[in-house]
Amino acid sequence: MSDSIELGIPGLSLDVGDHVCCFYRGRSERDRILGSYLGAGLRSGDRCVCVLDGIDQGAVPALPDQVLPDEPLGGQLDVHMSQDTYLRDGSFSPAAMLTFWNDVVGSAIASGYLVSRAVGEMTWALRQMPGVEELVEYEAELNYFLPRYPQVILCLYDLERFDGDILVDILKTHPKVLVGGMVLDNPYYLEPAEFLAARR
Amino acid sequence: MTTVEAHSHRARASEEELREQLSNMQALLVLSMLMTESRDERQILHLACTAVPSLARCGLEGVYLVDAGWVALDDCRGDDDGRIPDRGAVGLAQVVDQLIHLGAGGGGVAAEGRGWTWAFPLRGMEGHLGYLVVSASVAPSPGEQFLLRGLAQQAGIALANARLHASQRATAETLAATVRTLERSTAIHDRLTRVGVAGEGQAGIARAVHELTGFPVAVEDRYGNLRAWAGPHRPDPYPKDPVARREQMLRRVIREHRPVREGGRLLAVAQPRGDVLGVLVLVDPAGSAGEQELVALEHGATVLSMELARLRSLADTELRVRRELVDELLGGTDEDSALARAQALGYDLERPHRVAVVDGRARARDDDAFFHAVRRAARDSGVGSLMVARGGAVVVLSDTDGSWEVFRQAVLSGLGGGRCRVGVGGRCERPQDFPRSYREASFALRLQERSNGSDQVTSFDDLGVYGILSGMDDITGVERFVRSWLGDLLAYDARKHSDLVATLTSYLECGGNYDATAGALAVHRSTLKYRLQRIREISGHDLSEADARFNLQLATRAWATLTALREGTSAT
Repeated sequence: MSDSIELGIPGLSLDVGDHVCCFYRGRSERDRILGSYLGAGLRSGDRCVCVLDGIDQGAVPALPDQVLPDEPLGGQLDVHMSQDTYLRDGSFSPAAMLTFWNDVVGSAIASGYLVSRAVGEMTWALRQMPGVEELVEYEAELNYFLPRYPQVILCLYDLERFDGDILVDILKTHPKVLVGGMVLDNPYYLEPAEFLAARR
Repeated sequence: MTTVEAHSHRARASEEELREQLSNMQALLVLSMLMTESRDERQILHLACTAVPSLARCGLEGVYLVDAGWVALDDCRGDDDGRIPDRGAVGLAQVVDQLIHLGAGGGGVAAEGRGWTWAFPLRGMEGHLGYLVVSASVAPSPGEQFLLRGLAQQAGIALANARLHASQRATAETLAATVRTLERSTAIHDRLTRVGVAGEGQAGIARAVHELTGFPVAVEDRYGNLRAWAGPHRPDPYPKDPVARREQMLRRVIREHRPVREGGRLLAVAQPRGDVLGVLVLVDPAGSAGEQELVALEHGATVLSMELARLRSLADTELRVRRELVDELLGGTDEDSALARAQALGYDLERPHRVAVVDGRARARDDDAFFHAVRRAARDSGVGSLMVARGGAVVVLSDTDGSWEVFRQAVLSGLGGGRCRVGVGGRCERPQDFPRSYREASFALRLQERSNGSDQVTSFDDLGVYGILSGMDDITGVERFVRSWLGDLLAYDARKHSDLVATLTSYLECGGNYDATAGALAVHRSTLKYRLQRIREISGHDLSEADARFNLQLATRAWATLTALREGTSAT
């Protein structure tokens, strides 16, 4: 197994274990990124896990056609909605969400996939619901989860909807940033313990 | 805590602070990229403003732009209602006064209720744009202030980029709009030029302007008569303004040098060489015609001007050729030349003709008005189409023997009153006959003048002895005859400035009836009796004697003929 995986955008790749925050503007750019990222994963034989925000229910059936029009998916693509994952039971719990990832990714690897490629649309965090204020702590905790399995996780943030203060904190908690068609290393991202300590 | 432990703790704290600072720097770098990518000023300011609390322990007071004043956070998010800073507890006027005097480097400002307030400059390539104003209860660390300064610098650059981009986009849009306008204008020009070249006439021009604009289009002559229409809802009958209102409208259009709106219509005049020959009308009751429609209307009016100038030139040429032909015929011309010229005009000169001389005037002296009235009457009554103005009268070459009185009444009707007398010459069988017929018509008219009667038609063919006398080549015998019978009376009239010959003429023409003669001369019966007595005494003739009366009547007619002939000779 190679440690480098194709991102789906020409010239860009990620390493297994990467936790990447990706900034985009609007739905059409989101769809392009999702299509490229999941399409490359499906072609590579990765298990693809996609969590979309609930307001886009209608977009789910169209996604497979967009990313892989000519081949059957055969359960390789696992699509979830935010209200069934991040906001299950009407609130956000970092621990519950980490358990979800552990179950989904763990079972994928156990069933023979070499790599799990996950993507989460993060606009759910803008809703006025219990627990959403723990988003940044969750992102920091996620860095502990990444090394457990051969996986990459892409977190999607819409620049038209998130404020600068959240973005700065998000940037501090992600080792890599996908922005403006480039993947930037963030060598000064704060380790979970550092970030969490600073927050407290 | 031991000294070593304390030292170790400080070192760890310092390292954490450094890592935090570096992490913030990295975040600032990415924020800078995001702001620079954006083309929207509000998005840029929104990102910068909302990032402030994450980069330093302080809050945002607001963004002040040199060209726009305070920008509210809500405004950053895209709302347009208000320019109150999101955290505007500071006295705005007080802060603004300080900012104005602060200069491009920024610095501290005093704000009530704030321990520390600082204006970080927003700078672009073109200069100073404004300030990012932040405040805190205590001054942030130098590292945090460094981050805020960097944030403001990057926001300023992104702002300048966005403005430059917007300016370029606006320039490009203006250019594109100009190109579109030019293309449209060229298309209009091409379409109307094709109409002109193809000779589609006034109907073609109306149709082209209608197709280019989508509005109904009318072509009117100067007087408001419809000449062509294109499009739906053609009015029937076509409405026509009163003359005064029409002239007022035309003066307005000429004065403004562009199409004008009147009621639900846009009007442009076709005005080659200063004369208004026609009006192009765009029917637009809703007033929705725009600049492009005006361009099409103006181009259409230009092409209409060319078309009407061409038509007028043709008409002028034909009129000139007709006039020259009439002049040649009246003056006596080579027959072949006249026939060839007439053939070129499509006129059959080989039909029998008569020359008529029409004299008169409108109530107000206007030779043009009289000429046009004669031309219209000649056309309407079918008298003829060849004519020329000569010495205040109009000479008509008539190819018909219709009612000349009907023609005379038509002239008077066209003039709206005034006077009209007609002399009609004898028949012309060949072109060489026209000078004779013209002389005869002129003679008949002069004889009518001398009769002091009411205006009428006098035909040479009806003149009887006058006609015979006027046609004699040698008139010396006639003159001798007149002198022998009227010589003493003529000498007396010349000496005393009296009217004895005219009185005698009238008496004899009235068949010796006293009352009729007194009425014709407008004198009292006793005056007439006195004059007749003087005539008897001076001439020595007995007016009751039949032979004397015959010779005297012949002499008076001969005298009138000679006088008319002499007047004709002196007139030519």
